[in-house]
Amino acid sequence: MTATEAPLLEVRGVVKTFPAGGLLHRRVVHAVDGVDLHVRRGEVLSLVGESGSGKSTLGRCIAGMSAPDSGSILFDGQDVAALDRAGRVEFRRRVQPVFQDPRASLDPRWPIARTIAEPLVANGMGAAAARDARVAELMSLVGLPRHLADRRPRELSGGQQQRVAIAAALALEPELLVADEPVSALDVSVQAQILNLLAELRERLGLALLFIAHDLGVVEYLSDRVAVMYLGRVVETGTVDDIFEQPQHPYTRALIDAIPHPDPQRRMTTARLAGEIPSPIAPPSGCHYHTRCPWAVDRCSVERPGQTPFGPTHEAACFVAAEHPFPPRTSVTLQKGTL
Amino acid sequence: MSAPLEKDGQEDGQKGGTVGAAVTASPTTASSTTASSTTASATAAPILAFDDVRVDYRGRSSTVSAVAGVSLELRAGETFGLVGESGCGKTTLSMAVMGLLPDRAQVSGEIRFRGEDLVTMPAGRRRRLRGDDVSMVFQDPATSLDATFPIGEQVAETIRAHRSVSRREARDRALQLLAEVGIPDPAARYSDPPHRLSGGMRQRVVIAAALANDPDLLLADEPTTALDVTIQAQILDLLAQLKQRHGMTMLLITHDLGVVAQICDRVGVMYAGQLVEVAPVDQLFAAPRHPYTRALLQALPSRAQRSGRLAVVEGQVPDLSEPPSGCRFKERCPHRMPVCDTTPAATPAGAGSVACWLETVDRATNVELAEQVGGAA
Amino acid sequence: MIALEPVTVTSRRRRIPMPRWGGREGMAGWIILGVLVLVALLAPVLAPHSTEAIDGSRIFGAPDWSHPFGSDDLGRDVFSRVLYAYRASLSIAIGSVLLAMAVGIPIGLIAGYAGGWTDLVLMRAVDLLLAFPALLLAISLIAILGPGGLVALLAIAIIYVPIMARVVRSSVLVVRNQPYVLGARARGASHWAIVRGHVLPNAIGPALVQASVLMAFAIIIEAALSFLGLGAQPPTPELGLMLAEGNNYLTQAPWVEIFPGLAIALSVLAFNLIGDGLRRSFDPGQLAR
Repeated sequence: MTATEAPLLEVRGVVKTFPAGGLLHRRVVHAVDGVDLHVRRGEVLSLVGESGSGKSTLGRCIAGMSAPDSGSILFDGQDVAALDRAGRVEFRRRVQPVFQDPRASLDPRWPIARTIAEPLVANGMGAAAARDARVAELMSLVGLPRHLADRRPRELSGGQQQRVAIAAALALEPELLVADEPVSALDVSVQAQILNLLAELRERLGLALLFIAHDLGVVEYLSDRVAVMYLGRVVETGTVDDIFEQPQHPYTRALIDAIPHPDPQRRMTTARLAGEIPSPIAPPSGCHYHTRCPWAVDRCSVERPGQTPFGPTHEAACFVAAEHPFPPRTSVTLQKGTL
Repeated sequence: MSAPLEKDGQEDGQKGGTVGAAVTASPTTASSTTASSTTASATAAPILAFDDVRVDYRGRSSTVSAVAGVSLELRAGETFGLVGESGCGKTTLSMAVMGLLPDRAQVSGEIRFRGEDLVTMPAGRRRRLRGDDVSMVFQDPATSLDATFPIGEQVAETIRAHRSVSRREARDRALQLLAEVGIPDPAARYSDPPHRLSGGMRQRVVIAAALANDPDLLLADEPTTALDVTIQAQILDLLAQLKQRHGMTMLLITHDLGVVAQICDRVGVMYAGQLVEVAPVDQLFAAPRHPYTRALLQALPSRAQRSGRLAVVEGQVPDLSEPPSGCRFKERCPHRMPVCDTTPAATPAGAGSVACWLETVDRATNVELAEQVGGAA
Repeated sequence: MIALEPVTVTSRRRRIPMPRWGGREGMAGWIILGVLVLVALLAPVLAPHSTEAIDGSRIFGAPDWSHPFGSDDLGRDVFSRVLYAYRASLSIAIGSVLLAMAVGIPIGLIAGYAGGWTDLVLMRAVDLLLAFPALLLAISLIAILGPGGLVALLAIAIIYVPIMARVVRSSVLVVRNQPYVLGARARGASHWAIVRGHVLPNAIGPALVQASVLMAFAIIIEAALSFLGLGAQPPTPELGLMLAEGNNYLTQAPWVEIFPGLAIALSVLAFNLIGDGLRRSFDPGQLAR
């Protein structure tokens, strides 16, 4: 349906490695191992996975905070790596990061109005009076009372701090926010406020959001589409309904089954994903997941599976599912009484 | 949001026999509906009882009232979840049980473990109890273990601290425990330092050490918060399994309502140092009674709420160095009444209890009062 | 480039009181230091006698009302000499540390923020200085330039530069990876604006604490150099020098030794109290609510 419209962000075959180990055993961590994905204008794409999945590293590459080893990141059709100086400044303006720990995202010595104005000052936007007006506007946009303007971050609650961080990120009118776990440091009730804010901003400003998270409840609420990562690779992408109702990759299924539902009537299934995520220094051959996968066949340990489409919006990298797609998950939840 | 709640409420009765088995240990409904503080002692002595427990942290210029009059009884063999947001006093309460509060903390009231008051217990006796009959699992497996010590020896050391056994016997028992908590090839891992293990494996070692002396009561403070979701599921399974096998009582402290729903029998909800609601887990999720509990459950994001906004509680947690009088939730409560300035007592509600004036004041009057207050403000 | 003034939208200013002076200890340190500096400045007014007036009748004269600290081997008034000696000691202590900060802080800032080769080269250079035994370094410098107060100041500063640079660098390494610095970069702030606005103010704390401790040591080093005859030369009134002279007559006239010693101790105490106070006010625990 949107095949004609070019995506706002396109990630093609991005690889990012880090050196690891001592002087003698120089080894490489494959943090991101060939990822393709895209984010459309105004869309919320969630990147989910456990620690070591490479989701944060990928987020940093997309936000321009680190350069991929290979592959390309296209923003609005242009390769970010090939941008000239002016182009890079423009890219920075249009893509803004939001970090996990709101407290650490703000300079403890700066009054919050100065933090919100920083991007305006840095880009030489507006005279002092115009900037003040813009700061006031941004504060009301994120729901911060004006009288907080000259408070320091420590005088604010965690939720207010995150609002300040979001206001600063919005100052340059970006088109894409790359938010790495922006609510995981917050309490449930505060988290709800920030999620509402993000949903609202998205509607009002047409903002696209790359939302990096491990909390699948939050992801389910906020996202349009979801990309599931395991050991540096995207194993499945699809709409929220695709992913949560008929997940095709066995890892996605295991991840969803592991969520403790805040509903005693929906006890977790007893089928558990055994073992732990292998080291990204020496990832398993073939499909990275084959060492823990109950469905693995011989081929899985030899060949890297390509993406197989399971619907117009849904694809997964699994040999087994490609042969025999998994049934929708709803049938699993119906058996709750027997478990 | 309301549709699934009603459905669950209807199911509650028929499912009571299976899920609620541990909850309604007392055969008569009469005893379970009256306030737990009076009846539980009549049926079976509670393993742990809090009686008007208060904890104040004394600072230079101010005193923070972290726990304000908590009364609660834990029944032998149950898994009790204590939930609340940061700063609600749940961790302080567990530290008070363990006797691990800093010196500037002042504890009043009684914390009785098998009838014996821990608060006034001599330090030596309390130390012997710790790690023996009562033990604890902390949140961060990385810091709960000594980084320079082989993991097996850390478990063996806990045994030798409380039992006069030979090194050999302690080692054998430690190996057995490591196997029980699911450390693969314990003999080979015995001498490994903690950093060779993953977070999940480290938490298993911490649990093994906590179980070393077959405790009757296990306190687990956010035991899975630092772990990934699939590992969390493994650890929760393990805890539930071990609890069954060893016949322990477990006090699980967490902010995660999902974890509570999955493994607890009963739940206590804390807000700003007060215990606002106690209920069997099914009842709490199906029919929360305290306005704060309701707000907390409604704030949980889910796909069902995608189209709308999440319900949020306005305002912030009060400053506990100057706590408001009476109910500490009143300033954020949509049902605030003049009477909320005095502390509501825990009132029986279903199979639990709620500390809210809405429970005692006539419902109709309530709405009227609430409207008056709302209109006045 | 231009720092934006805080937007004063608010009428009600609520500030959490910061222990700017570092609580009671820090306050006490600042007061003692203030008095000492005042004493040094007003020495010509306060001193009851000339520092060089030799009085044959008062050789090793015991303390009395007109000579509260007694007299030395030449009958000079010890009290007056101590007052003047503070001028030399304090200016060398403060001057050497300020000089070390002026050189060391930029080195540490650049090394820590730039990282990579810049860091490697700068820090190796600094390590080279650090590798020399401090006193040996000072003595060789004095051997080249000849003894004197200014040379002592320079020598102490050279000893301190690597210390300051290292302290600043290590706190810069922490600050530069804070999300607020990463965020500022993502929002297009220039390196200069980031270093000046975020990195320096947030990394300077430990350096200031270190500076106060180093000043205390500077007093002692300077006294030690003078004691060895490498600092100020007689008859200049100088605490270390007085200590060296008094040492010979300790049994006969202990006041010649004791009062300069106490004077050193008092100034060291002041700097240490200030250091403790600063340490407390920069403690992250204090910034936390």
